[in-house]
Amino acid sequence: MRSDLAFAVATLAVSIVYYWMAAGIQESRLADAIGPGGLPKTYAILLAGLSLVLIARSIGTPRSPTPDPRSPIPRVAGTLAIGIAYILLAPWLGYLVAIAGVILATTYYQGGSVNRRAAIVAVGGGIFFWLLFVVMMGIQQPQAW
Amino acid sequence: MVSLFTSGVVPAAVAGVAWGILGGALPGISPSITMALLLPFTYGMDPTVAIVVLASSYVGAEYGGSIPAILIRTPGTNAAAATVIDGYAMSQQGRAGEALGISLYSGFVGGMFGLMVLVLLTEPLSSVALAFTPTSFFALGVLGLSVIGSVSGDSLVKGLMAAVLGLMISTIGTDPVTGVNRFTFGSPDLLSGIPPILVMVGLFAVGELLAQSGEPGWEKATSAQARIRFPGPAMWRRIARPQAIGSAMGTFEGIMPGGGGTISAFLAYNEARRWSSRKEEFGHGSPEGIAAPEAANNTVACTALIPMLSLGIPSSNSSAVLLGGFLIHGLIPGPMLFVKDPDVISGLYAGLLVANIAMLVLGYLIMMPCLWLVNRPKPYLMAFIYAFVLSGVYAIEASLFQIGVALGFGVIGYVMRSLKVPFLPMVLGVVLGFMVESNYRRALVLSSGDHMTFLRDPISAVLLGFALVVVVGSLVRTFTSTGHRDTETQS
Repeated sequence: MRSDLAFAVATLAVSIVYYWMAAGIQESRLADAIGPGGLPKTYAILLAGLSLVLIARSIGTPRSPTPDPRSPIPRVAGTLAIGIAYILLAPWLGYLVAIAGVILATTYYQGGSVNRRAAIVAVGGGIFFWLLFVVMMGIQQPQAW
Repeated sequence: MVSLFTSGVVPAAVAGVAWGILGGALPGISPSITMALLLPFTYGMDPTVAIVVLASSYVGAEYGGSIPAILIRTPGTNAAAATVIDGYAMSQQGRAGEALGISLYSGFVGGMFGLMVLVLLTEPLSSVALAFTPTSFFALGVLGLSVIGSVSGDSLVKGLMAAVLGLMISTIGTDPVTGVNRFTFGSPDLLSGIPPILVMVGLFAVGELLAQSGEPGWEKATSAQARIRFPGPAMWRRIARPQAIGSAMGTFEGIMPGGGGTISAFLAYNEARRWSSRKEEFGHGSPEGIAAPEAANNTVACTALIPMLSLGIPSSNSSAVLLGGFLIHGLIPGPMLFVKDPDVISGLYAGLLVANIAMLVLGYLIMMPCLWLVNRPKPYLMAFIYAFVLSGVYAIEASLFQIGVALGFGVIGYVMRSLKVPFLPMVLGVVLGFMVESNYRRALVLSSGDHMTFLRDPISAVLLGFALVVVVGSLVRTFTSTGHRDTETQS
């Protein structure tokens, strides 16, 4: 199948890069018989071998039916971007505001609409999580500068 | 009996279980973190009460991990990862209440069995743990990895590839033998490696969130489906065998240092499938696939205390925290504990009995709001899960970098889903990789590079023998099913 071939080619590339990096691991005077790069190199060779097996199998099998043309990538990327934005903005906005923003934005990207109800749920959710983690459980969360 | 009613053991056990279920149900909050959060509050307590609170929260957390595993495909604890497979499948079929009932009942059965083993066999069985060497630890890790074939779905090759990728991830950080940095790219955040919980939260929770982004809303559970359902007599009979298997695995792994609930849950799942007459249901919502791992990880919550109590060796992070609780109160675990502080030991046993019974009641009460959550509109539920995951991951080490790592593994999980690559083998590789490598190399250092040491050590030889049996069984099953499919295709 085409997806198997893509996966196998990607992992073959990973195994080559990983082996190259494993070969570059500095040796230590404390090194044992295997050394810090020993098992990583073995893993790389194993992965390369398995990738080649999958490539061989993929070439021999017929193509799978054409996938659904409706791509979910924009929504997936949007959801991911919300998490990245949280990492970047939480230290500036503080936990309560940032997590409320995550709830509002994710609601939209998961197919909901941004309206007054969504805003109330986001603010309420932010307060709930702040109470749960920070107040009740005493777990540190990002604070504004 | 005296311990139960004279020292506040009952309220301590109930409070500990409630806290544990809450902590275990929060993705990213492991049982050890749940217990560690309690530690400061135990300073002023009576030693017996303090130990009971901590041990009961361990029991509660092991069960609590299955709640998000079943409802939102996110294991609350490492040990609940195996429960995701059939638990979430049942939830998607509108059988969430039934799945949670089986999980709770099996957890109770496993917990009671584990307690019985703890009470009866602590001193004799602890001698096995004393005999563990790096060689045995390596073999234990290999045994854990041997179940990869059973969790690889339709493609053993892709499962093996995922496992090797997991092993590769486990090599990130400081080398366990020489202290050399590997694959850290100069980042101090990577020096201690990538915690398995980040990989699991990323692959399971974030990956699922990303996958759900492109999907329409799911069917809501009807009120009848959402009603919590404890298994009836017919189901009792059906899940009795997997529960027995889970309890046996939990006992076996719990007494071995380093074993823990995760390995036992996966082993129990694998063996339950092997011995089941309905193998084809596994992975598609089999009650047996929930009963076995849940019985196993709740058994471990008690049996993991055996080496800790009798030898002072913590076999898991959670028992290490409990060890801390003992030391805070001037109690030194070991053979002398049974002579010098028998009240603490009997109080602990009584507390664990109450904790397991309380778990049955509290688990029922906490489940209903959980089922209510499933029926919320999908966008809101997804948004709250995302917020929960981000908050939970940050709580591990107060690190935004770790949130980035979890998101990265979320992308990997999404891609693996799209390409139909199983990611449970990857989780096993990450969880067991460090243990396998560090003990493999230490064993070779101790034996001057002689690989026969793994066969000369009787514990190692037995464990490797078991691993071989599991691998051969998986291969036979794979080739048999492949041959069967080919025959069907040709006909």
